[in-house]
Amino acid sequence: MSVRARPTSPHLQIYRWTVTMAMSIIHRATGIANYGGMALLAIWLVAAAIGQDALTSVNYIYGSWFGQLVLFGFTWSLVHHMCGGLRHFVWDFAVMMEPGQRDRMAWATLVASVVITLLIWTVFVWMA
Amino acid sequence: MRDTVITTETIADPKTHYGDAKASTRHFITQRLTGAINIAFLLLLLFVVVRLAGQDRADVVGLLSNWFVGIPFAGLIAIAAIHMRNGMRDTLEDYLAGSLYRLAMLLNTLFCLAVALLGAGAVLKIVFWG
Repeated sequence: MSVRARPTSPHLQIYRWTVTMAMSIIHRATGIANYGGMALLAIWLVAAAIGQDALTSVNYIYGSWFGQLVLFGFTWSLVHHMCGGLRHFVWDFAVMMEPGQRDRMAWATLVASVVITLLIWTVFVWMA
Repeated sequence: MRDTVITTETIADPKTHYGDAKASTRHFITQRLTGAINIAFLLLLLFVVVRLAGQDRADVVGLLSNWFVGIPFAGLIAIAAIHMRNGMRDTLEDYLAGSLYRLAMLLNTLFCLAVALLGAGAVLKIVFWG
């Protein structure tokens, strides 16, 4: 007796991952990361407003290997969230929503964010 | 937007018009508008950080006390804070409800207000008083 395959339950662990789904999750994750990262910017600016000693301390922490790692991640997070936002602007015109189109655009945001981030750090940090 | 219980019957009946149409539309437009402005913010942020990362206070004051840099920078930080609060509201609405949602929203507002006031305030302090 042959039985037709039953529809599978859309449970999180067995859900087939698509690039649009992954980029949707990453858009929210980077948004939350940017939310926290803005505190780092505020701390730096407040330290600069207070005085040289406070700024020296913040520069020391941000300049450490861990600080640089966090700032590199923050850069990518900001750039990726911007690329994701541009993708939403495109979708607001009800275009690029078909299968294939939306997947290519999702991959494009990921590739663009990685390339732009590496470009920023290469030009302004590693080669500067 | 506003916290109301939405049952299956409410959703099934098109006459209910559940949700806050005005506030939700404003939320959508605000998020698009501030998001577009944030592109300008990121460009200015890149310029400022590249020039001032790891630099001394005199260099920071030297660049930011320029009105064409300091004033837009402070304004764009405040606009980014609006985008942050709006975006976090979307997240909180998805996972929380009732008094817990209202508490989280209060903390959200306070955090974004702190980032805006401290961030933009620090820049303005440098612009006007060095």
